[in-house]
Amino acid sequence: MIGLATIAFAVLAGVAVLTAVAALLVRELVHTILWIALFFVDLSAIYFLLEAPFLGVLQLGVYAGAVTVLLLFGIMVTRKRIFSREAATGLGPAPVALALLTFVFVVAAVGELPSGPSALQVYAPSDLSAALFGTYGPWVLILGIIMLTSVSGAIYLVREGRE
Amino acid sequence: MTGLPEAGFVGLSAALVAVGLFGILTRRNFVLLLIAIEIAMNAAILNFVYFAAFAPTPGEGLAGQAAAVVLVGFAATEVAVGLAIVLALNRAKGTINVAEATELRL
Amino acid sequence: MSVTDVLATGAEFAPVLIVLGSALLAFLLDVVGVRRLEAVGGVVVAGTGVAFLLVLADLGLGFLGPLRTIPAATVNAVPAAGASPLYAFTSFGLVFQALFLVAAFLVGLASLSRDSHEAGAPIFYGLLGLATVGMLLVAVASDLIFLLLAVEVTSLATYLLVGYTRRGARPLEAAMKFYIIGAASSTLSFFGASLLYGAYGTTNLYRIAAVAGGVGYPVLALLGYGFLIAGLAFKTTLVPFHAWAVDVYDGAPTDVSAFLAGGSKKVGVFAFFLVFLGPVLYVHPGAPGNPFSGGPIALGPIVQLTLAVLAVLTMTVGNVLALLQREMKRLLAYSSISQAGYILLGIAIGTSPALAGATFQALAHVLSKGAAFLVVAGVAGLGVGPLVDDWRGLGSRRPLTCAAFSLLLLSLAGVPLTIGFVSKFVLFSAAVEAQGYFVWLAVAGLLNSALSVFYYARILRAMYFEAPAGGDAGAPPLTSRLAAGGLGYGRAAAIAVATLAVVALGIYPQPVLGPIQAAATHFLGLGA
Repeated sequence: MIGLATIAFAVLAGVAVLTAVAALLVRELVHTILWIALFFVDLSAIYFLLEAPFLGVLQLGVYAGAVTVLLLFGIMVTRKRIFSREAATGLGPAPVALALLTFVFVVAAVGELPSGPSALQVYAPSDLSAALFGTYGPWVLILGIIMLTSVSGAIYLVREGRE
Repeated sequence: MTGLPEAGFVGLSAALVAVGLFGILTRRNFVLLLIAIEIAMNAAILNFVYFAAFAPTPGEGLAGQAAAVVLVGFAATEVAVGLAIVLALNRAKGTINVAEATELRL
Repeated sequence: MSVTDVLATGAEFAPVLIVLGSALLAFLLDVVGVRRLEAVGGVVVAGTGVAFLLVLADLGLGFLGPLRTIPAATVNAVPAAGASPLYAFTSFGLVFQALFLVAAFLVGLASLSRDSHEAGAPIFYGLLGLATVGMLLVAVASDLIFLLLAVEVTSLATYLLVGYTRRGARPLEAAMKFYIIGAASSTLSFFGASLLYGAYGTTNLYRIAAVAGGVGYPVLALLGYGFLIAGLAFKTTLVPFHAWAVDVYDGAPTDVSAFLAGGSKKVGVFAFFLVFLGPVLYVHPGAPGNPFSGGPIALGPIVQLTLAVLAVLTMTVGNVLALLQREMKRLLAYSSISQAGYILLGIAIGTSPALAGATFQALAHVLSKGAAFLVVAGVAGLGVGPLVDDWRGLGSRRPLTCAAFSLLLLSLAGVPLTIGFVSKFVLFSAAVEAQGYFVWLAVAGLLNSALSVFYYARILRAMYFEAPAGGDAGAPPLTSRLAAGGLGYGRAAAIAVATLAVVALGIYPQPVLGPIQAAATHFLGLGA
């Protein structure tokens, strides 16, 4: 029996792959941003489907929100005309073959996983936060150092000023 | 809650990482390269989330969810640094096409 | 363990915290308007120096005993069964911490000598400190996510360092290439880590080893390791993932190249050690279904053979391309790629003498190649051009500088009485000791060393036996406002320290080689 969740997943997964491919192949850079925004929103829906609402919200806020705006901003500032095109590049057989090979290899692992429906673990956000700032606190601390490095360096690189 | 097939998620993340790799290898515009990298990064994050969801014990699963949260933060930071470099380069030169960046040769 | 616990047990992180603090102080000084090179640079250089002493104390070196921040018992402890710490202080990690701090200290010291008080000093020293923090954290990691995040601290700091001058498009282009390659490779690494998590339900390296002992190596895990190899090979500049390195080293400010070649590349090397040696190849050699130790598919020998082929390829390609170079920085960059091949050889062989040899080779590379880039930066400051031919006749005009440079090059070539000879001797004799086809690896290494002598000799010939294009009178004047022969005191001191260490350790290596050998033996025994 195919459940409702499985059908929803199949649709969302198809949309994810299509939007990812479209984002890389459309010629107009602004359309790229639209497709990638849709891709991020779609993945967020998958996280909700996986009963991971906190990650779903995070994906919406950080990826669909902040990263999309950053990318759009990058295109706007670095191009004189906003509707600019990607220089035509061939799709060469080698990259396509490599990408397909990667896909086949990873899918080869499918055989080891249970193919039927399996039960989902559901985590309360409070448990997640306890893990994040307890057991895995050092990860968050290092992420803090990463952000410190990025912000201080990035501000310096883009600020106007004396040379 | 109706169950979901774990195998389907492996297929999805495999497809996404393949698309990302393809983009990294063929695109020459910096923003498109960033997007390709982000697609592959999302495949990794998706891996962590669904392996966490299908984990046999909650303890194992929390590690995956925590890793996913941290990776989302890291990826956003990485994009910000990339854009800072591009903005500085754009000011210095006026192109962000990696193929047009010809002052360094192989 | 909560965040506050981590802060409370700060003692063992004292070296990391000191370097982090000094980097933050450099930024703060900039904010309050103190931009003097001596003040900003002095803080970070002093910070790395103090941290270096603390790490040496933790390693148990003689009179520094009272400075110890980690009990000796902890350093050489074997983690309890079932323990899954995110980080662990091992003597092998401490050796690498010391090595990273040497690189940061030398580069920081040399950069105190600039021909003018450039505006970039605070950001240079701040990022240098933060990159060092990432390297120190890498050396204590025992968890995949912890390890990869720490690698990213260094990566992000070095992308920005490459472009920090903001002058001209060239360094920024190098920064952009570095960023794209680095971000793509880190994504591959994280994807690999996520597959390993899926296969074993944990990201802890010790736990992975323990679980793998029971369930073996499913396809997911092998794929995970494959993605990790690719991601780390980029960071370590292994052929065929090396193409970016020469462009980046060439385009970056030369002091930053010194740090990239001497310091941050070793981060990838250590990550390789951590991911592949401890848990994978040597744990549970007899476990059922462990393809790394025979069984139905004998993957262990295959992995070793792959690494060995990569190592020989990296050495040879690096050396051959170096032979063809006419520019000094690109030549040193290619030679740096070939040196990565020698280090990888140690991982491929995988015995404890080989591991010690590879570590000692890494130290030799930090001292020789790092200082060689520092000399090139200093000489460029005198107005000498980028080509090897521009160095003609410099031997008689700058005898001391050229003598030091010659010694560093001889060490890179592996000439006796230098550290480069000792490290290669240890490494190659470990290869011979390991028998089998490893003997041929030693032969390949020796042949490569012989090959590399050609291009080092060409530099020596240009310095000592050739006259400048227009005769001595026609040579451009060497002008610099700096003291100490135009190099500046800081740079002169850094080069002198490195050169003395290269010679001293070449003649009497035991005080350093001994602890490294002990640490390597302990490291390999960790998961057993």
